[in-house]
Amino acid sequence: MRLVRRPEAGAFIVMIVVVALITVASDFKAFNALGLKNNMAIISQFGIIATGAAMLMIAGEFDLSIGSMIGFAGMSMAMMLKWGLPFGLGEATPLTAIALTLVMTLSLGWLLGTIVVRSGLSSFIVSLAFLFGLRGTTEVAFRLINQSTQISGLPDFKEESWVAWIFGGEVFGWFYDIWFFLGGNINRRGEQWVDGFDARVLWWIIIVGCAYFVLSRTQIGNWIYATGDNKESARANGVPVNNVKIGLFMFTAFCATIFAACQVFDTNTADAAKGNLKELEAIAIAVVGGTLMTGGFGSVIGVIFGAVTFGLVANAVFYIPWIDGSFYRVFVGAVLLAAVFANERIRKRITGGI
Amino acid sequence: MAEPYLRAENLVKKFGPFTALNGVNLEIYPGEVLALLGDNGAGKSTLIKTLAGVHQPTSGQLYIEGKPKTFRSPRDASDAGIGTVYQDLALNQLMSVTRNFFMGREIKGPLGMMKMDEMDRIAHDEMLKIGIDFSDPTQAVGTMSGGQRQTLAIARAIYFGAKVLILDEPTSALGQKQQMEVLKTIKRVRKRGDIAIIFITHNEIHSQLVADRYTFLALGQVIGGGKNGELGHDEIRRLMAGGAEMKDLEGELAAI
Repeated sequence: MRLVRRPEAGAFIVMIVVVALITVASDFKAFNALGLKNNMAIISQFGIIATGAAMLMIAGEFDLSIGSMIGFAGMSMAMMLKWGLPFGLGEATPLTAIALTLVMTLSLGWLLGTIVVRSGLSSFIVSLAFLFGLRGTTEVAFRLINQSTQISGLPDFKEESWVAWIFGGEVFGWFYDIWFFLGGNINRRGEQWVDGFDARVLWWIIIVGCAYFVLSRTQIGNWIYATGDNKESARANGVPVNNVKIGLFMFTAFCATIFAACQVFDTNTADAAKGNLKELEAIAIAVVGGTLMTGGFGSVIGVIFGAVTFGLVANAVFYIPWIDGSFYRVFVGAVLLAAVFANERIRKRITGGI
Repeated sequence: MAEPYLRAENLVKKFGPFTALNGVNLEIYPGEVLALLGDNGAGKSTLIKTLAGVHQPTSGQLYIEGKPKTFRSPRDASDAGIGTVYQDLALNQLMSVTRNFFMGREIKGPLGMMKMDEMDRIAHDEMLKIGIDFSDPTQAVGTMSGGQRQTLAIARAIYFGAKVLILDEPTSALGQKQQMEVLKTIKRVRKRGDIAIIFITHNEIHSQLVADRYTFLALGQVIGGGKNGELGHDEIRRLMAGGAEMKDLEGELAAI
């Protein structure tokens, strides 16, 4: 009974079913050495932005600008690395490119949050404006400076710079070493096949760990729940509702920037269209993970399950020959609808006690 | 009972040309329940909001333990020991009892970590003191009864230092049994002896069950008052109706 009350229970069951189905349907290819690495890469991508989206939704707001923020941040970093820092400040290093981009994206998150709390307008519409505005800005900047909406062929910074390495390099090599040592993880020539997971897996773990800790254990976590549940009663009890919201808009911007940094330094490319529709996937994952659309309720653990589910299904086209990307969208639609109903039932059970 | 904890002297509150309070005097002593009665529009809400620091009086003065005080904000009032429990209770349904109890005033250790065990224990103990043995403080407030929610809001106000507890119609919108639960809670708080309670109600029976004294408001003025037991039933009903004779009202009704 207690378990059923948990917001992540449904997401867990869906995840188990999906893992089982994909394991069988892909003839275990989805979880061989390379399959696991690739799946974890997309799961982490989803997980990073969905954690930000879920935290913000728990506080009762939406951010539709996540996808555009990814494109903007990627463009910003790649352009600094190719054309140098703005205002003639000289050559960019990965560190200065990331730092300066983070200053910009966090400022944009702050601006978005400030507009929402000051105006009292729905964050849906304000962040929709940011979705269009940021995407357009990204494209215009690319065309004006770069004459193209793509940048490719950047030097492989992670060879030289540890900063680039922590975003674009590989982590948990020991996992694949042990796998190789135990007799698996072998390519056709009999050598070790895969060396490690993408660095974004570690970023996902860090972000999820921090988010879980903050939300469930700290005072700020209590403020986040209180803000999303009923902001008037939160305010009456002295919770700084506006600052909580603005802080979380900055957190989603941070997550989008990490997403972009991992992408840029992994592939050494950038594209103005990067991150398209990612905000909606992030929100869908948050909802499937048990976050209420109305705020005040949700769990970071549920978002982990949601990210695993979505990542596996999104990648399934590579392992199951007879499906394509359309199946993924059908799945998302069906699961999302089911999740909304399940969440609503949980909410009624909690609030219908009189 | 030498000195009232809170005294209001000649409070006047005007909203533009409209006079909501027209010279109200009030005093309230620790350990007593003052029932504040009056019809809709009598000025009850304005009075409690003025005492709670939401409104600033146009003229008049508040005294806490004999010293003049001015409240510029609800925070000033609560720092001076005035705890107001409004009808909506300022509770969040989806959050647990403990998380509601400490909302905005969490006990925290290093890294902003909440001391959850300590908070659970305090929330449980404080509610037990005024009558509810709530075994599971991790339960969501949404699953509690209306009476239990009132108790939680009252326990929270007391724990965070309320010396005057203003209860805004705590029994309205509740079923019979729940109403009795709230009245029991009020009696238990009264028994502590150190807390003054202002009990706003429409219900004369409820006020007779728990109040020590009455104050009747009509059109922004105190039109009467007295000790429980000294006022007759008819007199209470007459004053509640804003001073109109009950017989007249009954006559008017019969004439339709």
